[in-house]
Amino acid sequence: MNTHTKVHGKHGDFAIEAKGLVKRFKTGRSWVEVLKGVDFDARHGDLTMVMGPSGSGKSTLIANLSGLLKPEEGRVDILDVDDLWTYGSGRIDKFRLDHCGFIFQGFNLFPSLTALQQVMTVLKYQGLSSADAKKRATTALEEVGLGHRLHQRPNALSGGEKQRVAIARALAKDPQILFADEPTSALDGENGQVVIRLLRRAATEHGAAVICVTHDPRLEAWADRVIHIEDGRILDDQRRTPDPDAQLASH
Amino acid sequence: MSLALSTLLYEWRRYMAAVVALAFSGLLVLAQVGMFMGIGKAFTAQIDRARADIMILSPGATALFNGGPSGVPRRIMPVVYQHPEVLAVADLDGSGGRWQNIVKDKEPGGDPAAPGAKKMEFVNVTTIDAMPGAVTVPVDYSDDLVEALRQPYAVAVDQTALGRLGVKLGDQASYNGKTVRVAAVTQGYPNMMQATVVMSRDTLRMLGEANTGERVGPLMVQIKDPARAPIVVAQLNSISNGQFKAWTRQDLAEANEGAMMKESFIAIMLGFSLFLGVLIGVAITWQTLRGAIMANIKEFASLRALGVAMGSLRWIVLELSFWVGIAGVLAAFVLTWGVSLLAAGSGLTMSFPPMMVMMVSLMLIVIALLSGLLSLGVLKNSQPADLLR
Ligand SMILES: Nc1ncnc2c1ncn2[C@@H]1O[C@H](COP(=O)(O)OP(=O)(O)OP(=O)(O)O)[C@@H](O)[C@H]1O
Ligand SMILES: [Mg+2]
Repeated sequence: MNTHTKVHGKHGDFAIEAKGLVKRFKTGRSWVEVLKGVDFDARHGDLTMVMGPSGSGKSTLIANLSGLLKPEEGRVDILDVDDLWTYGSGRIDKFRLDHCGFIFQGFNLFPSLTALQQVMTVLKYQGLSSADAKKRATTALEEVGLGHRLHQRPNALSGGEKQRVAIARALAKDPQILFADEPTSALDGENGQVVIRLLRRAATEHGAAVICVTHDPRLEAWADRVIHIEDGRILDDQRRTPDPDAQLASH
Repeated sequence: MSLALSTLLYEWRRYMAAVVALAFSGLLVLAQVGMFMGIGKAFTAQIDRARADIMILSPGATALFNGGPSGVPRRIMPVVYQHPEVLAVADLDGSGGRWQNIVKDKEPGGDPAAPGAKKMEFVNVTTIDAMPGAVTVPVDYSDDLVEALRQPYAVAVDQTALGRLGVKLGDQASYNGKTVRVAAVTQGYPNMMQATVVMSRDTLRMLGEANTGERVGPLMVQIKDPARAPIVVAQLNSISNGQFKAWTRQDLAEANEGAMMKESFIAIMLGFSLFLGVLIGVAITWQTLRGAIMANIKEFASLRALGVAMGSLRWIVLELSFWVGIAGVLAAFVLTWGVSLLAAGSGLTMSFPPMMVMMVSLMLIVIALLSGLLSLGVLKNSQPADLLR
């Protein structure tokens, strides 16, 4: 049992602590080092923003932290798990099911399911009864402002609404950690603002450790912390005071 | 509703190829089973609905008419009649010949195509003794029907043969050059091979075709207590000396049907169709499922990211293929029903024993599940890390 990171940490307690992450990809006959010994941590209640140019290794870092892609070197302590990558893939799946939410650039919603069913599906795999799943899913969708859209399928939803369904799907599990990779880049300014505010709220009100990858500098206004990464190395790491009422100027 | 089922219903176009492939695999097998069973039933119908409790055929014969000589020497008749429990013995006389419909001159300006096309067919003739209750009269013949056949030169034709013979009730026709009249129409005696015409023994005699030779057709025997038929059959067979074989009606019907399915060409055709159906069904269903799953692979990957185990995704795919199988079975039923209507229109009644239908349905579901198992491999592409880009 590690003592740094906690499941039900208070705001400010460590949720993730990673040390010396090295990730290489094989391209052709040579190896490319995408992460070159990254140390990273994230705290409960923080909206931690990871920024950097394209190809700098932001998405790879998130994949390493969340148990989706195994790093060649380094360790990840996350919640009550000591060195996540010593777990087998079944246990890592279970860990993600219990504790992690994901938001991607694409929405990845099943075309055949209504908003409510999209959210309920994951909850049922968590072992909730249909009735409980429905209650939780409804609450989550209301929280993202889609209370009136419960029974729409994706083809009847706008891009912003789809992303909010995806957020509701991730938040309904009440995850301690929320990973978001470019959650706003497929959206216009107005919808992007709605989304970043929802992420902000997940951190503030639910105490989740939110890790958000973006290359949109305007989102910095909502962040507790901004980490810059370039060419597989962390350049700087700044704490700042978020402004929850910031405006994402729409043009 | 489950994810698999709602995906199938909502994106049915995507799964259409698989459902159609399964439906045709099913049709391929079901239509043949239906046809062979239907033909078999047509032959068995005469046995099933005979008034005779016992039938006496030449040794080795399992059918009243089709396939080989089924008659016995005429001198057997008194031998059978001497059995104390026998009430009536009669031979089934039959003949066959050329049938032509008589086309009336059309009124000028009438539709030149419709009805009156000239038809020439070779027909089977079977006879009854035109008395209600005679042992040669099938149990489902009404007294009116028998009465109608008692008239000279009256014949009965089955409903399903009317079109082929180009006649309707009341029409005259030519049989071996002599004029006969369609005095009655029977129901439920289809014969795909050759149309059958029923007439009275007296009419056959008047046509000059009655059998007066040493051998007669199969014997129809009525006994006092039908329940004792098996015992009487055993007693008759014990004195047969290899010259005839007695059957109870039930046993003969079963032997008749069984002989049909044992025909080796039928077994070969069915086996080959089954093989072809499974092969085509699996190939198309597998590829269709693969494509359809690939189309949703990102959604599956997002479930994986949220922690849903690979095993659960496999279950979704298997459930999906199960429902595709069910849809295939339903579509196969619809297609087969359509084909059987078409067939009935041309005089062939198909017959579908529930056991056979169940086995074919099961086969389709197994094909679908097999295809599902084969397409599990594509789930490897549901890499959540690919969604992080
Ligand atoms: N599966 C892979 N195989 C080979 N190379 C890869 C693979 N995944 C990522 N890379 C390489 O690793 C580098 C970092 O990729 P990554 O997706 O982490 O960048 P990123 O910072 O998220 O960029 P962007 O802002 O464009 O999303 C890139 O150069 C990319 O080409
Ligand atoms: Mg990226």
